[in-house]
Amino acid sequence: MAIINQHEKAAKPQVDESDIILSVNGISKKFCRSLKRSLMYGVQDITWEILGLREKNEKLRPEEFWALSNVSFQLKRGEALGLVGKNGSGKSTLLRIIAGLIKPDIGCVEVNGRVAPLIALGAGFNPILTGRENIYANMAILGLSKREIDERFDEVVDFAEIGDAIDAPVQSYSSGMAARLGFASAIHTEPDILLIDEVLAVGDVKFQAKCSMKLAEMIKKGITFILVSHNSMVINAICNSAIYLLNGKIQASGSADLIVKKYEKDLFMSGVNPPKLGMKFLPKKTVEKSLGADITYICFKNSSGEILESLRMGESCYLCIGCKVWKIFQDFSLGIIVTDLTLNGRTILMFESYYDGQPLMLKENNNEIQIELPNLALHSGVYDMAIYLKKENPYAELDILQGFIFRVEEAVVQHKFMGESLFYQPRKWHTKHL
Amino acid sequence: MIKTHRVVYRSQSSIRDPRQLLQQMYRDLLASRELAWRLLVRDISAQYRQSFLGIFWAFIPPIITAASFTLAKSNGLINVGNTDLPYPAYVMFSMTLWQTFTEALNAPIQGVASAKPMLARINFPREALILAKLGEVFFNFSIKLLLIVGLFVWFHISITWSIILAPIALIHLIALGTFIGLLLAPIGALYQDINRGLTFIIGFWLFLTPVVYPIPDSGIFGSIVKLNPVTPLLVTIRELATTGIISNPQGFWIASLISIVGLFLALIFYRLAMPFVVERISS
Repeated sequence: MAIINQHEKAAKPQVDESDIILSVNGISKKFCRSLKRSLMYGVQDITWEILGLREKNEKLRPEEFWALSNVSFQLKRGEALGLVGKNGSGKSTLLRIIAGLIKPDIGCVEVNGRVAPLIALGAGFNPILTGRENIYANMAILGLSKREIDERFDEVVDFAEIGDAIDAPVQSYSSGMAARLGFASAIHTEPDILLIDEVLAVGDVKFQAKCSMKLAEMIKKGITFILVSHNSMVINAICNSAIYLLNGKIQASGSADLIVKKYEKDLFMSGVNPPKLGMKFLPKKTVEKSLGADITYICFKNSSGEILESLRMGESCYLCIGCKVWKIFQDFSLGIIVTDLTLNGRTILMFESYYDGQPLMLKENNNEIQIELPNLALHSGVYDMAIYLKKENPYAELDILQGFIFRVEEAVVQHKFMGESLFYQPRKWHTKHL
Repeated sequence: MIKTHRVVYRSQSSIRDPRQLLQQMYRDLLASRELAWRLLVRDISAQYRQSFLGIFWAFIPPIITAASFTLAKSNGLINVGNTDLPYPAYVMFSMTLWQTFTEALNAPIQGVASAKPMLARINFPREALILAKLGEVFFNFSIKLLLIVGLFVWFHISITWSIILAPIALIHLIALGTFIGLLLAPIGALYQDINRGLTFIIGFWLFLTPVVYPIPDSGIFGSIVKLNPVTPLLVTIRELATTGIISNPQGFWIASLISIVGLFLALIFYRLAMPFVVERISS
């Protein structure tokens, strides 16, 4: 080999290990958002490529930015890697470089085997032609010979559940049928590395289940996967490890569930910026509109009664709820439901004063209900709280407040390590000499 | 079983390692034969399934051109010199060859333009697009051959043994068109200007090629027509198919050399340029 740059030198020792199937070494890629400039740079790049001047392109031209910057990782045969990151974080660009569609600006990618991109389902489908003809064209584009297609043809048709429609033009297919046919053709090319970019949501639930099963089967066969998905369940179910990309850089990499959790947390922490805590007032109701008692405000206070601006994991606080009572009932009860927005809104906490055996003695007019929460057990994240006021015997709902969004900050020093914990368990350590 | 092969995608210019580049080109050209055939079958069958008149579209343009120029000539609207073939046959035959040339020129540009979504998503040998389109050019020519045979029979044009050499000259003509098309295709995928300009340039180029008139002997116009690389190729095909006497063998060989060396270099250019085109066209 005539040219060996540093990256390749670094990659050399691993070549001997035959099970490394993909090695990405210090990949960087520039992009340009302005179309006019982008086209101009395209022509410039071509000129440099032809003249052989292109080597390392570390300088950004005006209006360019790094879509990927110094990304490195390796994959062994049979591994499944999840790629997570916000839109525009460089996931698709990375896949396209691995697929050999575009050239990196810095670094190199080494692939030992056939790569099949499941980026484009049904690429090259011609709506005029029949399903049969399209399978042949599509699989040929994906790199199969006629004989190989002949061998797999029945399997593809079976998998896609197309049946007799195989000899009808594809334009007469429903969108689901066309997508199934595309997926089936792509997946039956039996590649060494499969790149999947958000395409698992094809067809109905039954077909999706079938796809997941097929993927699991392929992993067993030793096919390597790179999967881009915004669905954490899919990543967790399929991938062993994951990479979290942020603005083109690897933010974190490691075991899939840890990385996915970190990504989702970051997404909510930075994306949904909940308003500062403080006191939230509710619109006042008239006697006629009220069902007897109303929630008037909600806030968190500290032990000295000051309203809190932020909550911190592990620290004590009081949840204070204002109630205006028009009509006295015997058994007032207040319920709280907290859902974790970083876990797709899963409910993680529910309690109610009635079941806690704490009758609420509310007087006519304004009251404040205080719930002491010693050592707040919620880990850092963003939460949604619903509060309902009701009465028992006879049961009736009086008022409900939904969508109180609040954020819990990380602990300062102590208990900062959470690992994979779902909540904070207040604890004290003792050692005893026996 | 599928062959596994090792590929390295790196940032450096591939042209810095010409041996490897040529090896990869050769490998991809071989690998793309079957795909090109699939694409060819796909495109042609889709094209004819959507057409009522079908192959008649291959005949209509030369016939219309010939009819209108014959009419113009016989009414004295235009004054062209005498041709060695009957004038309508001359125009029709030359027009068919000219059409084949422009088809070859447009083939890479259209091939890349219509495959944009595919190019953006799948890494298949890019040469397949060109091969498929060239296949289409040959297919179209073979249909036009029917017209030419009919023409020769109708006008009682005598042929000589040299006609068996005509296909070779035809391949050179197609090579010239493909050479220019390959140079324009990557840029044409980025800028619309190429497509717009090309329509206009091809129209003008036809005017500089002895298609509706015989080769002018003298004058500035005559020398421009003689400098046009299409002229010796087209004229030689015509001569090989009919009289068998080649008027300008030197010009033919120079134009052929330009076409074939150019085609080879243009293939390298196309291969090197495509990743950058894909980078800019896709989203």
